[in-house]
Amino acid sequence: MTEVVLAIVLGALYALGTFLVLRRDVVRVVWGVTIISQATNVYLVTMGGIHGSIPIVSHGGGGHHAVTDPLVQALVLTAIVIGFGTTALALVLTYRLYQEHGTLDLQELATTEDSQ
Amino acid sequence: MQPDSAILLAVLAIPFIGAALAPLVHRVLGERTAYYAATIAALCSGLLISQYGRWGTVTVEWIPALDVSLVLYLDGLAFLIGLLASGIGVLVFIYSGGYMHGEPGQAKYYTTLLVFMGSMLGVALVVDLLSLFVFWELTSVASFLLIGHYQRADRSLYAARKAMFITVTGGLFMLIGFLLLGHVSSFVLDGTTFTLIGTEQSLIGIPGQVTHAEAIRHALIEKGLFVPAIGLIAIGAATKSAQIPFHIWLPDAMEAPTPVSAFLHSATMVKAGVYLIGRFRPLFVPEHVFAAEVWTWLFVGLGLATMTIAAMLAVSATDIKELLAYSTASHLGLIVAGFGFAETVGAETGAFHILNHAAFKATLFLVAGIIAHEAGTRSIDALGGLRHDMPIVAAITAVASLSMAGIPPFNGFYSKELLFDAAWETAHHFGGLAWLLPVVAVFGSIFTFLYSIRFLWLFFGDRPTELGEIHRPPVAMLLPAGVLAIVVLVLSLGAAPIAHDFVNPIVKSSLIAPAEGYHFSAHLPHSLKPPVLMSVVTIVGGIATYPFYDRLHHGIRRLRSVALLAPNQYYDRAITGIAHVSDVVPRYVQTDLMRTYAAVVMSAVSAFALGGYLLGGTGTDLTEAVTGVNLALPITIILAVAVIGALAVDRAPSHIVGVLTLSILGFTVAVFYVLASAPDLALTQLVIETLVLVLFLLVLDRLPAFYGELRRRRAVLDGVIAAAVGLTVTITVLVTTAADPSDGIAHYFVEKAPVPTEHGTLITDAGGGNNIVNVILVDFRALDTMGEISVVAMAALAILTLIGMRNRGERA
Repeated sequence: MTEVVLAIVLGALYALGTFLVLRRDVVRVVWGVTIISQATNVYLVTMGGIHGSIPIVSHGGGGHHAVTDPLVQALVLTAIVIGFGTTALALVLTYRLYQEHGTLDLQELATTEDSQ
Repeated sequence: MQPDSAILLAVLAIPFIGAALAPLVHRVLGERTAYYAATIAALCSGLLISQYGRWGTVTVEWIPALDVSLVLYLDGLAFLIGLLASGIGVLVFIYSGGYMHGEPGQAKYYTTLLVFMGSMLGVALVVDLLSLFVFWELTSVASFLLIGHYQRADRSLYAARKAMFITVTGGLFMLIGFLLLGHVSSFVLDGTTFTLIGTEQSLIGIPGQVTHAEAIRHALIEKGLFVPAIGLIAIGAATKSAQIPFHIWLPDAMEAPTPVSAFLHSATMVKAGVYLIGRFRPLFVPEHVFAAEVWTWLFVGLGLATMTIAAMLAVSATDIKELLAYSTASHLGLIVAGFGFAETVGAETGAFHILNHAAFKATLFLVAGIIAHEAGTRSIDALGGLRHDMPIVAAITAVASLSMAGIPPFNGFYSKELLFDAAWETAHHFGGLAWLLPVVAVFGSIFTFLYSIRFLWLFFGDRPTELGEIHRPPVAMLLPAGVLAIVVLVLSLGAAPIAHDFVNPIVKSSLIAPAEGYHFSAHLPHSLKPPVLMSVVTIVGGIATYPFYDRLHHGIRRLRSVALLAPNQYYDRAITGIAHVSDVVPRYVQTDLMRTYAAVVMSAVSAFALGGYLLGGTGTDLTEAVTGVNLALPITIILAVAVIGALAVDRAPSHIVGVLTLSILGFTVAVFYVLASAPDLALTQLVIETLVLVLFLLVLDRLPAFYGELRRRRAVLDGVIAAAVGLTVTITVLVTTAADPSDGIAHYFVEKAPVPTEHGTLITDAGGGNNIVNVILVDFRALDTMGEISVVAMAALAILTLIGMRNRGERA
């Protein structure tokens, strides 16, 4: 069954994220990447199906036909944590960038590099 | 009798092993590495000679599963080229021992020369076209390194790059030709083959047993690939063998040390092109014809033009090595023209002249090296009367240059006579314009005569007074030249028996099916046939013109200075143009702006994905999709909030507002996970989102508030890119969720993760937990989880380092 609402929402999130990635302000680029990775996680969960029940079963299994895809959830769980790692690194890089160059404007950074 | 596969493989492998060890050997032996290399070359030629007469194919299975095997084929022509590579190799290595005395970079020099020798043996012995191509390009690479031996000199860098650029580009054209042949072979044989000759399923077949050549030719013509295939292979051969207009790299290549010029640029590597033509001749030239389609006129025209023009350029040369370089191109032209003629005598010309030219030209190069080494100059005008100082060298030169001039009874005469014969016969058959062929052949040969005598004259006439003291050459340099001169003498005096026994199989390699009882023979003429008259005209014409040598010399030099006629000008302009393009392109591609890269990558991904759907179809009916909205209201509302949150991030007037609205998005995604039956994700998301919020706030405290207002034009452009990305994602989600794959993997985990009923509490074959997601993370895919933790640890380390570096005052 196609997920029309999710398709539109994911499209909108990706579009908004992409728009931010194309900005001059480094902080905004980081936001853009964050939004895109959030959207990607939702995307993956959608792929696993969202209409089943919680993938927690009692002793001896059973009733497993109804649960949502646990493998996708496991992958996304990993992705969330790694996303945190990359966001943290990106933020510290941003901080250092500002310390070194006194600006967060990518345009300005590119032109000063040329003039060196 | 078949050749011994172990021995042939050893011939191929020994030079490469020797090359790998050469740098180590150089540490121990120093300059005597020359003799180590000579030993290796001697070993190779010895092994090769042991296989003489055992013509046949050796197939070495390489990757049997993929049907890839190394096919080695030994016949007269392969043996000759292999013998030149290893035999002249021995002499050149010994000579290098004297010539390279005190020169820099000897370990590199000997290593590269050995690699070259191995590659050249590969070109000679391998008949699988793709392997042949690899060895072919390896010789170009080795040549590049050797021409650029003096790395600090601009001229040698220019020369090395030129040679590499021209020969490697030509090789790529040749590769396309090979691929065409392989493609066509699948219509004639069982499946595609790149084996040229020697097996049941090869393009030519097994000489005397199976012939596919005619069927392949017909298939090529049918597919319209006949002319392209010959043309592409001809470009490869012409660039390698320095045919007009690709000859320009050869004179510059004389920047290499002289032993390299003697070895690569006269005796062996430049022979690879003519070898290829001789090798392919049976495929394209049918028996009993006077002219093979395309083949004859292409190669005869190319060969005779090169022979004549390069001979004239040699007359205009001012440097002895330049003279020899042009002369080499000229003689290669003679060989190309020979192989071009469709009659048997054409193959005889090509095969015999490869041997003769290698002998006398390598000798002359070694002589040129001796002159440069001992007299300290290579300028023709500055040299003269050298016979007083170097009588032995003078004798050696006399033998070799008279042979080059084509004067009987020296060996060069025999092969030139065969060329005259071929040209005359073809002209006689076709009449009309074809009579130009013998005329051009004689005209070119007169110039050959002239420059040969001019080179010999370095040893006669008056000794210029400004020429300083000339030393006797060392034995290591004199000996190889002497040995080669003796080879020339033997070839000259024993021409008849050598032609009968040794050259005969070489000629037959280039014939598709020699006539019954055919046997190659060469002897001094005893009646005045047309070719003999042509030789007489050549020699008499040469003697008559020699007094005007200087005028010719200056006349041709004036002609050369006309820009339109100089291929070098075109080459230089092309290179400058390419360099200019390289300067301009990065300005647009490498803007140092993250924006450019992201925009290009994202639009490209969208374009490819959408294009793929457009071309390949999506496999589902998307109009149907729109009708089926089946999402519960709470999820829809939450998702709407998420989008509003993201929109607010885009429009945030300050960093703080942006971070807070970003959190709205994050927390609504957590709620979405709850509603989508993914409680573990929701928990993780809540924790991480809180941490990210704190982190952002900590960092933002140190950053400026906000700047960079939105420019309208840019915003519109970015909006288009963003919309394209969004549209792509929407469509992919629709397409993927419309499909309904069987949940094989998920099913497995749901079955295996919990404790099975029959086990009680003890488990070995199951995950042993109720929360399947957790079981997957810590049990089934525990390594992934460990990788994840390592990533976080690495990020933490990187962050610590970044901050720590600043505190220690280092600049990143």
